Amino acid sequence: MRNTYLWLAQLVTGVLIAVLLSIHMVLMHLDAILSFLGVDIKDPTSWHSMIERSRETLWAGLYIALLAIVLYHALNGLRNIILELAPSAATERIITWTIIVFGTIAFVWGTYVPIRLLSG
Amino acid sequence: MTQIQPRRNYLGALGWIWAGNYKLERYLYIFHRITGLGILLFLLLHLVMTTVFRVQGKEVWEATMEVLHNPWFKVGEYLVVVAFLYHALNGLRLIIQELGFALGRPRPPIYPYKDSLRRKRYWTILIISIVVILCVVFFYDFIAGGW
Repeated sequence: MRNTYLWLAQLVTGVLIAVLLSIHMVLMHLDAILSFLGVDIKDPTSWHSMIERSRETLWAGLYIALLAIVLYHALNGLRNIILELAPSAATERIITWTIIVFGTIAFVWGTYVPIRLLSG
Repeated sequence: MTQIQPRRNYLGALGWIWAGNYKLERYLYIFHRITGLGILLFLLLHLVMTTVFRVQGKEVWEATMEVLHNPWFKVGEYLVVVAFLYHALNGLRLIIQELGFALGRPRPPIYPYKDSLRRKRYWTILIISIVVILCVVFFYDFIAGGW
């Protein structure tokens, strides 16, 4: 039962990632095409452009949402791969909790940095 | 008296890279898994790059960018883009299958079997993926000046 909901969430996050990550990829890599179309984001990997984006709440919010969704999708997928080896119930519990702890640490750290850079 | 053996279709860990006599969908699944693990590796590097090296100020960030403009990282970025597109498109195919969108009416399984899904769906997606990958590589190379 629980795994059914986890799998449903995997599908939903997959669709969300397809949308959000496409926006992210287009903005980061197709800057020449975007400036041709009238959206100028000035060499997105330069320090100046990056720190300008970091000061906007919209970008920080988008990145934090993307981080949460991607971490769920990635770590749940990794868990599914590991569980295909059919470990015992005790091992499964260890794997699940390791992944939950790792994901929480990654999320907290990845949220702290953009929030700190909002004023930095 | 020979005992009928159940069909052995559990390939174990070897089944992650080799699928024997299985059909194309099994190989699509293997590629889905490989690209997923590759993107996970990229995600970890990307998170470290955009947090640890970003909070340390301008000099550290620009030194990191200098390292990342190395041709080897460019090759890696190409692989990540291809893997992401494959994973996304195959994932959409899997969602269509799972939820049963646009698959036509189900038929009773009477020989000879007519399985519209197995006939068409993955060839369509494969062709779409190849087209999209070529488009992105083309845009990145010639318009955005990737290299």
